Amino acid sequence: MFKRSDESLINKALDGDERAWQQLVSRYQTMLYHYGLRLMGNPDDARDLLQDVLMVLCRNLAQFRGDSSFKTWLFGIANYRAMDMLRKRKPTQDFDDSPDFFDEDAPSAESRLYGQQTQKIVQQQLKYLPADQRLVVELRFYQQFTFDEIADQLAISSNTVKSRFYAALDKLRTQLEVAHVEQSANF
Amino acid sequence: MLNNQQIFEAWLAGKLTTAECEQQLQSDSEWYGRFLTAQQLQRHAKVPAFAPVPDIDTSQMFRQQWGGRPAKTAWWPRLSVGMSALALIISISPLQLQLQDGALALSWKENNSLEQQQQMTTMLASFQQEQQQYLQQQLLNQQQQQATQLVLLKDYLTENEQKARRGDMIELVEYLNQQRQADWQYWQDNVQPTQARQDYGNNQQRQ
Repeated sequence: MFKRSDESLINKALDGDERAWQQLVSRYQTMLYHYGLRLMGNPDDARDLLQDVLMVLCRNLAQFRGDSSFKTWLFGIANYRAMDMLRKRKPTQDFDDSPDFFDEDAPSAESRLYGQQTQKIVQQQLKYLPADQRLVVELRFYQQFTFDEIADQLAISSNTVKSRFYAALDKLRTQLEVAHVEQSANF
Repeated sequence: MLNNQQIFEAWLAGKLTTAECEQQLQSDSEWYGRFLTAQQLQRHAKVPAFAPVPDIDTSQMFRQQWGGRPAKTAWWPRLSVGMSALALIISISPLQLQLQDGALALSWKENNSLEQQQQMTTMLASFQQEQQQYLQQQLLNQQQQQATQLVLLKDYLTENEQKARRGDMIELVEYLNQQRQADWQYWQDNVQPTQARQDYGNNQQRQ
């Protein structure tokens, strides 16, 4: 089936075509919501973030110039709003209280192979990373952006992105080792 | 020569395989640890998430932002479709548009079927005539071709017969020559000595 490009949908939406807008939203809203879930750590904040990003997108649709891909531009907005929300969040609010929001019973060969327990540990440990490091990990692994694209989105240098990324990997490695040891001790 | 960071980043960018990267980073515990953690994250990222997306009224959002603006639609596709439809109607209806002597006339064709029948009869007659001409031409061609082939056949047969007859004559002459040679040889071997003896005897008697 012929798939319209993002640029074409944006132009149509700017001409007042609501269907084009809905198509554009449905193309990215799942991706954005899961991004929010991983980054914010709970469904309520993820919902707020999604709504906020979509509102900003709707308001600023005409400002998309096509210098980068639409996804890069959109995540530029999402990153800014997410970091803003994380900054405003109460310092006492902890991730631990938030329920597990990813469906563990989802049928997937990958999940069976990898092990649900390990997934859960990785998911939990990601929450303990500092927000700026978590964001870089999210954008590199989950959204598949390159270091240069991430640097563009966050308006920082590529070397800063890399140093946050490697710091996140080192921290996560230690956390995962401790978590695995604790898990083994519990058994 | 790549350093370990470059090797790791090449693997992340998909320029190196996991096995190659693992082999090259194994000696450096720091980079090897990062490589293993990155692999875990990659696997985690590949696991699909099924958390349902909450309903957000994006239509309302859109209408609030862009609702006052009437949808801009291009006029030319509609005009194009309209003109095509008009052309189709004119071509299938008895409506006739004629340009004759600088005058454009729009008329409603009546007696349409009679005219069509006449056209059909004329076309059929023309077709019949063409067919007859074609058949006659074909017949003529065929006759000419047949006559040519008969002449060629006759020539071939005559030539073959002449060749056979000449061969027979040569064989006959050879046979006769052989007979004559045999007769002469017989005469030389048998008749000539007897004759010679008789002649000698007669000569002796006369003496």
